[in-house]
Amino acid sequence: MRIAGEVLRNLFRKPATIQYPKQQTQIEPDARGRHFADLKKCIGCSLCAMDCPSKAIVMKKLPEDKKPPQNRRGLYPVINYLNCIYCYRCVTICPVKAYVTSSEYRLATESKVLTSEELSLSTLSR
Amino acid sequence: MAEAREKATVTLEIPIGPQHPALHEPILLRVFADGEEVIDVEVVTGYNHRGIEKLCESNSYYRDLFLVSRTCGICNTIHADVYTRALEQILGREPSQRARYLRVLALELERIHSHLLLAATIAEIVGFDTLFMLIMRDRELVMKAKEILTGCRVHADYYMPGGVRRDIDEVKRSRLLEILNKLEPRVHKYITLFEEDPTINSRLLEVGVIKPVDAVKHGLLGPIVRGSGIDYDIRKLEPYDAYDEIPFNVIVEKGCDSFSRMMVRWRETVESIEMCRYVLTHLPQGEAVVDEKRLPRAFPKGAAFTRGEAPRGELTYYVESAGGPNPYRVKIRTPSLNNLINSRFVYVGLSVADVPVTFASFDPCISCMERIVVIDRRRQVKKIVSFRDLALRRVRV
Repeated sequence: MRIAGEVLRNLFRKPATIQYPKQQTQIEPDARGRHFADLKKCIGCSLCAMDCPSKAIVMKKLPEDKKPPQNRRGLYPVINYLNCIYCYRCVTICPVKAYVTSSEYRLATESKVLTSEELSLSTLSR
Repeated sequence: MAEAREKATVTLEIPIGPQHPALHEPILLRVFADGEEVIDVEVVTGYNHRGIEKLCESNSYYRDLFLVSRTCGICNTIHADVYTRALEQILGREPSQRARYLRVLALELERIHSHLLLAATIAEIVGFDTLFMLIMRDRELVMKAKEILTGCRVHADYYMPGGVRRDIDEVKRSRLLEILNKLEPRVHKYITLFEEDPTINSRLLEVGVIKPVDAVKHGLLGPIVRGSGIDYDIRKLEPYDAYDEIPFNVIVEKGCDSFSRMMVRWRETVESIEMCRYVLTHLPQGEAVVDEKRLPRAFPKGAAFTRGEAPRGELTYYVESAGGPNPYRVKIRTPSLNNLINSRFVYVGLSVADVPVTFASFDPCISCMERIVVIDRRRQVKKIVSFRDLALRRVRV
């Protein structure tokens, strides 16, 4: 009889699973997701690239016409998201708090390369 | 054991693993049986060696912090915690009171989800798939709690010498309490189910018996030794973080079989929920987050040996510093190494069908244990390699 009650209750219960991707997973707003450097703040010190545990950050040269005044070295970090382990060491070690963080976790892509290059460069034109 | 195999007639030799539906991780159990009765089992490891200890030597202390927590996915916070405490010993730093409490909270949430995962696995191996689904559904609550606390469901990356990496506010605190309140009645329901269900009882009761004397003799750890009636818990013996201030009981069961090992885990889950609740209601005020920019890059000369109670037993770290930014040596001894390699004697006399369940009752964590180097046994070559040569990469092992 206990089982019969359980069966009846389960008939009218909502399913425990969700219809992803039609329905989105609830993620904490401060969960560690995709992040990139804001080049209006970045000074190109390379600390994040040195401390990255998975060596996912490479320092690249800024385009000559887009050099912000504070960035004398002319370097900016490019994160390879496919290597990144999302530990946020770069975010916490940054001396000027240049990293923009988000809880974006959906990083599936068809391309073989997925980096923060475009996102970072777009901060300059804002 | 090998003599026993020679004396008896081995009619069957069954390889269980390295890829096997019942064992979720790569390990090979070579089972020698006479009909249905197991005569001997050979535990063959080495399928998941990643060389983390060696990698630690060529990376800085802070990069190692994230590397060692990736030794194991399920028990990543305890790895980071024990390593962080070793660094704190070398540096001579103390975490704040609030940070110590938050560390315990992360550790206990991890213990809950690890024990729930094993309970689900056991249910699945026993053949009770519905229970597997139900426990995994409720494990999601704990994963959510971990996400609220640390920012990630699985890899916490929560520890830093001198404190923790993020704090909780009042909203998060009440949400965590809410999750714990939701989880507790469900855990009690599963405990009753484990105690009363005839399927589970017939597969676990009096199977894989480990006498207390054997448990000590073979150096078994964690819930396995506590399931054999021995009171051995590092949290009580050598309290670290805030364990000396948080009231809790060490769970001991006297059944000595797979069932009592499971019961130790279930009762520990309830105890851990209580501890989390205590931490959340008695959280001291103050600063918990450490400013990572101000931490020293180079470490002074010194060595530290720390240990902690992982969900699977005692975990130890030895970190040696020769000065400079990289450690000279990091030695990790995980509980699964003791528990699995020394588990051979348990299987003797069981029926073949009971081997996977008994194996699972040890809570195997293969990725945790495999950092040892297996030297060529086939060629019977014995070569002594000095540690210096190994460090300078003069030899290939």
